[in-house]
Amino acid sequence: MNGGIFGVIAKRIIVALPIVLLASILVFVVLRLLPADPVAMSVPPNATRDEVEALRRALGLHLPIHEQYWIWLTKIATGTLGNSITYAQPVFRLIGQSLPATIELVVVAAVFATVIGLAGGLVMHRLQGRAGEQAADVASTLIMSVPEFLWAIFFILLFGVALNWLPFSGRLDPGVSVPHTTGFLLLDCLIAGRPGAFVNALEHMLLPALALAFGTAPLLMRVLRSSLMEVAQEDYVTMARLRGLNERQILLRHSFKNAFLPTLTLMGVQFSFLFGGTLLVEVIYGYPGIGNMMVEAVRNTDLPIIQGVALVYAFAVLVINLAVDVLVLLLNPKLRVRR
Amino acid sequence: MTAAEKEVPAPRPMNEGRARIRRLLRSGRVLVGGGIVLVIVICALFAPLLAPQDPNNQDLLAQLLPPAWSADGVPEHPLGTDNLGRDTLSRLIYSTRVAVLVAVTASLGAMLLGTTLALVAGYFGGLIDWLVSRAVELWLSFPPVVLSLILIVGFGVGLGNVILAIILVDWTRFCRVVRSEVLVVRRQDYVDAARLAGFSHFRTLWSEVLPAVGPLVLTLLSLEMGIAVIVEAILSFVGMSVESTVPAWGVMIADARKDMFQSIWGMALPIMAIIITVLGFNLLGDGLRRALDPKLRQREIQ
Repeated sequence: MNGGIFGVIAKRIIVALPIVLLASILVFVVLRLLPADPVAMSVPPNATRDEVEALRRALGLHLPIHEQYWIWLTKIATGTLGNSITYAQPVFRLIGQSLPATIELVVVAAVFATVIGLAGGLVMHRLQGRAGEQAADVASTLIMSVPEFLWAIFFILLFGVALNWLPFSGRLDPGVSVPHTTGFLLLDCLIAGRPGAFVNALEHMLLPALALAFGTAPLLMRVLRSSLMEVAQEDYVTMARLRGLNERQILLRHSFKNAFLPTLTLMGVQFSFLFGGTLLVEVIYGYPGIGNMMVEAVRNTDLPIIQGVALVYAFAVLVINLAVDVLVLLLNPKLRVRR
Repeated sequence: MTAAEKEVPAPRPMNEGRARIRRLLRSGRVLVGGGIVLVIVICALFAPLLAPQDPNNQDLLAQLLPPAWSADGVPEHPLGTDNLGRDTLSRLIYSTRVAVLVAVTASLGAMLLGTTLALVAGYFGGLIDWLVSRAVELWLSFPPVVLSLILIVGFGVGLGNVILAIILVDWTRFCRVVRSEVLVVRRQDYVDAARLAGFSHFRTLWSEVLPAVGPLVLTLLSLEMGIAVIVEAILSFVGMSVESTVPAWGVMIADARKDMFQSIWGMALPIMAIIITVLGFNLLGDGLRRALDPKLRQREIQ
């Protein structure tokens, strides 16, 4: 059976490779439509024409577009992703510094989203046919209408400004610092044996992660509820009921297990949206991840960074989808038998 | 609603159409959602009449006023003012213009592009279907926000480019869902019958397949309008959409951010405006889906 799983993973990776390649072409071509001149924006206003031309040549911008793309591709292959115009450092290194922060945020947010989504779905299922159903329905539509970036601002206003319960800027309080080992702050705090800093980092992460989770959870909630509804008509549920199991036992032992799979499949799509959602949430919370880096690069027209980060996002989406597919395969006995 | 009725072809029995309208009018979601959307559209159309003041009129002696019901509020500014003393209510009302413009143009554009490709791909299959499906896959390999940001960098800042970017990102939302529906419809007997009766491919698509997926497209359109409003708000929040003199909710939130410790109203009110608008579109879409989708109706009857 393991061979089957690895075979599927290998196949998926082979299918994904041309997609990554096409994605890189798409990003590259779109960014070359650029009306603004990235060189003009990065030289001092009193630079001479010769200086501008020299920089243009140094950046390879005088070459035809397919040659420029080829150069970029070799830079992807060698792992530098080119040099940032603003920082004059390899983009790969810059991304390496910011990516752990984003991944950490995404993981914490995904855990929140899963817990809220599944719990909410079960609650809505239990409410079915009762007085609260309509209210819960309207509430879920309302919650679904709020995108994560508005949750982010709303949480700042409520828990940050009005109630003053939680911090909402950066990853740590000004004064607190933790030695850099992995870049994953929570992990670094544990390695350094600093419970105080760990709590501080967690507090900083709470609001952005909750904002992301609230943007993702309602759909999970809905899908879980409607698949619970479908599963409720299956013979094995009737059978379980005839065997004298009570509703709670039926829900936990039979319905939930089967209704969870469609929810899990949806999670793949949702968590890749969640990854994209970090972009704005990071900007709003001044959180030093790749989203913040991307928006800053857009403001500076730093093309190498924009291209590099966009590629990282595309790669992350593929990895998340692959991971979810593998999970579905592992959990679904029906798919497992087929080889 | 009327648009949906126009799309229903003559061969269908009339009472089916009327039954649909009756179901729509009985649906609370459609009424509430439609009502909210109607109010927003009226605000956008008649902004100069409804707004108490010019949205860019600065009253530097009345900066950051709270709404009129709080202790420091004044009746001249019912919802207070921003950091330049501009009237918040007027700015909220004028902002509906950008929202409605984007909601209508961007989502119609995305609908046209996505549905056309879905019809062609799903109906003809083969190479076209393969190409369209791969394109959708490629598009979905980016988070939508990232893709629209890249497009804006490529096209340049501005409202027109924001609309274009939304169309070029969100056509996949229509294409993916409608294509799989077309694949089902294509196998129906009445589609074969139309072909046997000598209908051209175009006419079969137009008068047999399109009406069958019409309700689905209409539902997606309504949801897409909400999404377009959000995306525009995001892009104007990061300063990549309208010029700074044009009132838009995203701009208002960004402006008020610097002063959030003095006054949370400047941020809270445009947020509420966005949420109410999106809620309106979502309720409408959800209600349309429940009222028009025969499969769902059957499930509810069971």
